[in-house]
Amino acid sequence: MLEFSRRALLGTALAAPFARGAAAQEGPYILGSVFPQSGPNAEYGGVFTAGVQLALQHIEADKLLKRPIRYISEDSQALPQQGVIAMTKLVNIDKAHWTFAAFTAVSKAVAPIGDRAKTVMINGGAVGPDLSGLSPYFWNVIPLAHLETRALLPYLVGQGKKRFALVYVDDPLGDAILKELGEQLPKVGAELVGSFSIPRDAQQFGPVAARVRQVRPDAVYIASFGAQQSQIIKGLRNNGVSQQLCSYSAMNLASVGSLPEAEGMTFTVQKVDYAGGDALTRRFAEDFRRAHGKEPTVYNANYYNGCRLFGLLAHELEKTNTAVTGDSLKDTLHRLKKFPLVGGTGEFDAAGNMMAAIEVVQWKGGQLVKLA
Amino acid sequence: MIAYFSNLATLVAIFGILAVTLNFMVGFAGIFSVAHAVFFGLGAYAGAQIALTVTPNPFLACAVAAGIAGVLSLCLALPALRVRGEYFVAASLGLQMVALTLFSEVKSLTGGIGGLTNIPRPQVFDVEVGVLPLALLALGVLLWAIHAMANGSFGRTLKAIRDAESAAEALGKPVAVAKALAVAFACAGAGVAGALFALHMSFVNVESFTLDQSVLVMAMVIVGGTGTLFGPLVGAVLLLSLPSALSFLTFIPPTEVGSVQQIIYGLAMTLLMVFRPAGLLGDQNKGKSHA
Amino acid sequence: MLFVQLLLGGVQNGALYALTAAGFALIFGATKVFHVAHGSAFTLAGYVFLYGWTHNWNSLLSCLAAVLVAVAFGVGMERLVYRPIQRHEGSFFTVFVAAFGVSIVVQNLVGVFAGRGFASIDTPLSNASEVLPELFLADVFWVAILVALVMFVALTLFLSRTNAGVALRALAQNPDLLRAYGLSSSRLSMLAFALGSALVAPAAILSAMTTGLNEAVGNHVMLLSMASTIVGGVGSLRGAALAGLLLGVAESVVLVFLETQWASAASFLVLFGFILFKPSGMFGAAVAK
Repeated sequence: MLEFSRRALLGTALAAPFARGAAAQEGPYILGSVFPQSGPNAEYGGVFTAGVQLALQHIEADKLLKRPIRYISEDSQALPQQGVIAMTKLVNIDKAHWTFAAFTAVSKAVAPIGDRAKTVMINGGAVGPDLSGLSPYFWNVIPLAHLETRALLPYLVGQGKKRFALVYVDDPLGDAILKELGEQLPKVGAELVGSFSIPRDAQQFGPVAARVRQVRPDAVYIASFGAQQSQIIKGLRNNGVSQQLCSYSAMNLASVGSLPEAEGMTFTVQKVDYAGGDALTRRFAEDFRRAHGKEPTVYNANYYNGCRLFGLLAHELEKTNTAVTGDSLKDTLHRLKKFPLVGGTGEFDAAGNMMAAIEVVQWKGGQLVKLA
Repeated sequence: MIAYFSNLATLVAIFGILAVTLNFMVGFAGIFSVAHAVFFGLGAYAGAQIALTVTPNPFLACAVAAGIAGVLSLCLALPALRVRGEYFVAASLGLQMVALTLFSEVKSLTGGIGGLTNIPRPQVFDVEVGVLPLALLALGVLLWAIHAMANGSFGRTLKAIRDAESAAEALGKPVAVAKALAVAFACAGAGVAGALFALHMSFVNVESFTLDQSVLVMAMVIVGGTGTLFGPLVGAVLLLSLPSALSFLTFIPPTEVGSVQQIIYGLAMTLLMVFRPAGLLGDQNKGKSHA
Repeated sequence: MLFVQLLLGGVQNGALYALTAAGFALIFGATKVFHVAHGSAFTLAGYVFLYGWTHNWNSLLSCLAAVLVAVAFGVGMERLVYRPIQRHEGSFFTVFVAAFGVSIVVQNLVGVFAGRGFASIDTPLSNASEVLPELFLADVFWVAILVALVMFVALTLFLSRTNAGVALRALAQNPDLLRAYGLSSSRLSMLAFALGSALVAPAAILSAMTTGLNEAVGNHVMLLSMASTIVGGVGSLRGAALAGLLLGVAESVVLVFLETQWASAASFLVLFGFILFKPSGMFGAAVAK
């Protein structure tokens, strides 16, 4: 309800540059991430980091690169300002070769910094459609929301859902989804009958539920992320909203699946076949299970891919003794276009977006069930 | 390393401006505002918009920011003229909360939570200048102005109002005008800090202008010592270098660093108030400060 | 029907705000301490109840533990923070900053030990059903109102019928007079803190069931309690409670006219308006400048 994160101290950006120093040309490659490691979205930070770290282990085990890699994790708290501070530090002080971003609002805020410094930024978690083409150095290894809604909406309309209500978080992701639904629903013969904006730290959803019920939707689309998703689901369900709930890939969190109120929540994720896939995918899934004792999620795979992509591109550059810079990495990406990654061959378009297949899934008894 | 320190120094100078201007309100006029971040924000948005749409000239950005923050400081001056003490703190809290919602929702001007990005670097006559010298210049000018006012008749009027408002009024001091001017001056200073902050970060969004930020600035003033000229600066340096000092404690798991920082920050505030209520540079023997 | 639904939803939240506001007003009225860490007592009580619930304690035991922790926190604040500061005759603002520091510490400790983010209790109590066409009410609605009423009746009886209660009210009016009669104002302040903090526990428990908790939940509680105390008129418990109810209703009913994102600003606009135009509040005596 109130913007009240208690992170007024300018946080990690001012933290310890001392042990590090600038990277010499022949020192290690510097990879940095701007993930939420604290605050209500910290669960994502852990998931994203696990993917990056597994890829780092594999790159090292395979001796893919001549130079070592140093990985620096900065905390964005999923907030743009903290993200900007962290990114400034990674780019200007640590001289990172390659960075990882997440969250639409954070990605949009840090993109100009990476762009100015010609540092590659990889997004494997945020899905705001305007993240495409943000900068020549900003690449998405995740299908963006417009691809997700275009898979989800026809499915739900096929199930007889014609009237959609949208509960969306008041930030760039929410705004993007609002725009997307407004444009896409009429095309599939449905309509957006109401949209309800909520602040990022809102907690009371009783009144919102009352407004949602009043527009008599067939389905309610929730565009939020992190801890708030669970609160919205519970708030709506507890206050008489019994309609179909639907969303995008952010619902793919263990804490959402375990919520009894989330039963029947339908959303879209990327298609990754861990068991029947290629050797790379199986190795990723097996090592992930061994390390974490649970099934990998798509987010783990995305950031694994994002990190592996650096290994593949830098390997190419090392072969020709070319310096690893933002520009040489970019040129190599556009030259090769296709890369062996988890989930199959990843192909990038001219804007730096990786294409991927999407499937519709549902939470049922705490398990993810594939619908279409 | 140099980049790191110049970044830290710029932030210290900007927050120093915030702290000394707030201290002017608190220490000299007895107006305990916890809405200083609102005016910081107004200045930041104004400065950012000037730089984005008109010209990246930092002096114009600062002037417009100071003007807007100064005029809108009336929102703070009005309750300051009506009530004192706890009531005024509550009013400023209310203002802070309402302003925060406005900052988030008036997206055409503020960009909401997404903020304003890609703010150009400051330029004077087509030459790019750093924010650090500008911020130091502004800080110096403000400190000089506060010093001059504190020892002039305006400062004496304010102190008289702070210590005994009814008596000052009975003596024919222009209480309302003096209070409103003090508030306008302090808020305009916060506006300048905001414009510099926007130019320094090349990015602003609503997160920088929360109640936490207001309390942080307030803590700088209180920790350093209210009513002293340099106390707030000491507070700003201390509270801004706390995170980097803590990062030497490498045994803290990275996911807990933020929390540990906050816990130490909170504890420091409380313990200081219990054991050194007049602040680090304040006169501990002065006894009751008047509120 | 939307209006009725929002009104009743507002009443449910308002009943809880009324309890926390009465606690804040009781403490502020009797001791003149602006207890900004009041929200922390709420957070702690809520999380203790949550802990008991997830560890399958008897629910009565969990409630009792929640109340005890809230009371211990309030009394601890009085003893360890407020009294030493007041001994120096520190200004009310010193108290404000010290208490704010404590609330930051509590919020982050809860985050470290209980986990960050959303936590709630799964109970059929909070599940609404359609009582009239288009009107959904959960059992917790009645529980909230009943609890609030019982607590107020008990508090009023205590303040008017017992010696300690009368002395507490006298402390609010004139501490010097009380001292002249040989009553210990120090013991009475502790009592005020204990009672005021105990009042947040039921609200915290019910919130754990309905909206859920997070480590920062106390901030909103503190701000609303403070706002209610001023809107209601300092020194009036009844005023604070009514104002709490009013702010809860305002937050909800405002959605009849406005978009959802403006809800949180509503109560603070009410507060700001009162301070500008009627600083004495609804029931308070005139405020000296």
